[in-house]
Amino acid sequence: MSTPMKPRTERYQNRIELLQGTLDMLILQMLQWGPQHGYGISQSIRGRSGEVLQVETGSLYPALHRLEKQGWVASQWKQTESNQRAKFYRLTAAGKKQLLSEQARWAQIVNAIAGIMSPAPEGGQS
Amino acid sequence: MSLWGWLFRRHQREQELDEEVQAHLRMAAQERMEQGETAEQARAAAVREFGNVSLVKEVTRDVWGFRWLETLLQDLRYGLRQLSRNPGFTAVAVLTLALGIGATTAIFSLVDAVLLKMLPVQEPEELYRLTSVSIKGRANDYFSYSTFKLLEANNQSLSGVIAFRPMENVDFVVNGNAELARAQAVSGSYFTTLGVKPVLGRTITAEDDARGASPVATISYGYWTARFSRNPSVAGARITLNGAAFTVIGVTPPEFFGLEPGESVDVSIPLASLPVAQPQFAATGTPYDVLAAPFRNWLHLMARLKDGETETRALANLGPVYEQAMRQSAEGMRGLPFDSPGTRKGFPETRIQLEPGSRGLTALREQFSKPLMFLMAVVGVLLLIACTNVANLLLACAKRRQREIALRLSLGAGRVRLIRQLLTESVLLAAAGGAFGALVAFWGSNALVSLMFHSASAIQLNVRPDARVLVFTGLVSLAAVVVFGLAPAWRASRLDLSQAVKESAQGAAAPGRSRMVESLVIPQITLSLVLMVGAGLLVRTLQKLKNSNPGFDEQNVLLFSVNPGMIGYKETQVAELYDRLTEQIRAIPGVSAVSFSTFSPLARWSSFTDARVEGHTPKPGENPAVTVNFAGPNYFKTLRTAVVLGRDFTEADTAGTPKVAAINQAMAQYFFGDSNPIGRRFSIPGWKADDSALEIVGVVENAKVNSLREPSPPAAYMPFLQSPDSFLAVTFEVRSAANPTALAASVRQLIQQADNRLPLFGVKTLSEQIDESLVQERLVALLSSLFGLVALFLACVGLYGVMASLVARRTRKSAFAWRWGPSGCRCWESCWDEAWRWR
Repeated sequence: MSTPMKPRTERYQNRIELLQGTLDMLILQMLQWGPQHGYGISQSIRGRSGEVLQVETGSLYPALHRLEKQGWVASQWKQTESNQRAKFYRLTAAGKKQLLSEQARWAQIVNAIAGIMSPAPEGGQS
Repeated sequence: MSLWGWLFRRHQREQELDEEVQAHLRMAAQERMEQGETAEQARAAAVREFGNVSLVKEVTRDVWGFRWLETLLQDLRYGLRQLSRNPGFTAVAVLTLALGIGATTAIFSLVDAVLLKMLPVQEPEELYRLTSVSIKGRANDYFSYSTFKLLEANNQSLSGVIAFRPMENVDFVVNGNAELARAQAVSGSYFTTLGVKPVLGRTITAEDDARGASPVATISYGYWTARFSRNPSVAGARITLNGAAFTVIGVTPPEFFGLEPGESVDVSIPLASLPVAQPQFAATGTPYDVLAAPFRNWLHLMARLKDGETETRALANLGPVYEQAMRQSAEGMRGLPFDSPGTRKGFPETRIQLEPGSRGLTALREQFSKPLMFLMAVVGVLLLIACTNVANLLLACAKRRQREIALRLSLGAGRVRLIRQLLTESVLLAAAGGAFGALVAFWGSNALVSLMFHSASAIQLNVRPDARVLVFTGLVSLAAVVVFGLAPAWRASRLDLSQAVKESAQGAAAPGRSRMVESLVIPQITLSLVLMVGAGLLVRTLQKLKNSNPGFDEQNVLLFSVNPGMIGYKETQVAELYDRLTEQIRAIPGVSAVSFSTFSPLARWSSFTDARVEGHTPKPGENPAVTVNFAGPNYFKTLRTAVVLGRDFTEADTAGTPKVAAINQAMAQYFFGDSNPIGRRFSIPGWKADDSALEIVGVVENAKVNSLREPSPPAAYMPFLQSPDSFLAVTFEVRSAANPTALAASVRQLIQQADNRLPLFGVKTLSEQIDESLVQERLVALLSSLFGLVALFLACVGLYGVMASLVARRTRKSAFAWRWGPSGCRCWESCWDEAWRWR
């Protein structure tokens, strides 16, 4: 039976919200070495994280389309090395700027969290 | 992305997304195959890893925006499919709604045309109508030419004052072809103050409205089309109005009909040209000259307030000017035959008033506002019935769809989303109903107009559905959705899942299932009964009015009117002519009696005046007004009004004999009580320079004068031939043995022979005239009967629908009973039982 009803999507949306900033940053980061298609991006994230991070397609594609809508990435249909047609995404100028600020913000967060989590006793000097 | 981009690129993007996903899957599979998996394994693993393809696509599409539009389209598509799957249901629902919405819209378009629509002029809300009101509270719409000039010259708060006068029918000749046209005389300020721009040529200016200016005329767009085939060189064309030459100078825009809703002006001429077109009325060179006599009130006045002026300030400003005008009027009539201190005193006792004029003159509005509001309420009820009907159908339908709805709910569809889907279907129904309703209304409102104004009075109303009416239709349809769609949708979404699944498996309804359906059927039947009973009462009232004794016999009487004064007859000539005509008409075979009078029964106008009765001293504040009528010989015999005492008028009552009069019983009772009035005397002050006493020679039964509803007022009748008058038209009453319309041709021929210049008008039967006077009652009675029947029909359809679904529920049980039960009657019984419970 054809049904126009939208099945529950809350599960994915929650995940996207949790990951949103991070996933966007990861995607932008992956694209800084050159244009890449969706499958390639997910594979690179997976490979570079040592198989730890697996991006679900239900999060990846909405993120790519969102980034494109925001103008941080642009897309183009091209042939892959294995001669397949695929949609390649590349960083735009605005995207590069965004990536820089994301990187800076990420470094800040990592430092801050590391500061909190580091085993050195706090205020030991005083 | 803009909405347009979305609309145009949606399909392409849809495809691209699909390709993107497919590419992803291919690449994933290929990589797996390179690692040694078989093509099939690789493909399956790639899909597994990817997840739910359509879900991924959907959440990605969400990012594009316009999700609501997407769902809306989806809902619409689905709704259309649902409706086309049940053509019977859809047809009945749409038809029902079309009837309800159409009737409401038709009545509304009339209400709009008669009561709401503003004049098609510039900034109509700045316009005010000038009226005056006497100290006794008697309102008056007419002003004299000199008053108009004074107000125009001496006010500080008005940006323009306009004067105009409808001229009724004029004889319009172009290229040798004569026709009657509706004309009006207007002041030079008329078109500029109203801001009505010509579509061709120019409009009448102040220069055209000066004494001695050459006579010019503007024609309406309709007349330009009908008589000149929209000839662009019409400006400068020569036409003849009532025998006088005029030059056409321009064409008014199509939407402009004049300032009186219901009337449509074909030709406008300047006030100053009135003496050329209607010399008798204008009375140039006499003390009654319309353009000079300050006491002749014949003009409608309207004014436009200056920017920033208030009504109060304008009124304060106009008051003194008007007082001055009234003093002039009182002085102006000094020495004239009907001058008397009493009449003169009346002038300064009137005050000027401003009334909102954005909707023009009010005659039509006053006549029809109540009946139209009543009908509006009736169609409102009808619409409500239609809506409950559709709600019922939807509920029955929802029952059939329980399974589908249960399935969707169990698949995780949200209730809000489900309600939205069901409401979308309702909106589709309402939209179709509204569209057909607009058609019904278009046809219906024209039929209504011809029904309301079927007679010679030929009221012209523009009821073409315009933007306002269509917006109204839209709103009504929307309201209908809320009324009929919300409850079923809400109900459907609150389905008890396990119950529903069980039920649809068993095909039986849980007890109490149809409570909502029943609760809708009951008000529906009640409402339609209320409408039917109301309609019955109205029809009864109409019948009673028609069957009541009006004080004359309306059967077999032909009426026609002449106005020889219009073509220059003097009073003695008029008397001679009427005498001769009466003689000749009586000789026509089939005519049993003939007479004439200045006012025919129920002609919707009459003359009221003060009476001074010898031996009756009015108490302070008492104002014994009587209606007067001037009648020819054998008037009462012709109309079959019973002469209770004394005698009818005869040929012997002429200018040479002592003045006599007849009075009706109401007047006799008022002034003389139970004593015999024959031989007593009274006078009518201010009538014809002659307030010598009239001797009462007859008392007649009370006959209706203005309306069948009102009791007969005190009335006095005077022999026309004793004081002939060349100013007013008279109406001949011809009584025949059989169908009086057959006489019309011979009468026309007689008039033609008597004087071929003599205009003959108002040819109709007395019964037709009575029907016209009952137009409101007939309209309301007829329409409420019609709407009552429609309501009853709808209620029956609704009842049928409910019974049908009820019987369908019992079919399984019945089938069993028919087969195995002791008798089939049981099934009838149980169905009847259920139906009976709604009583």
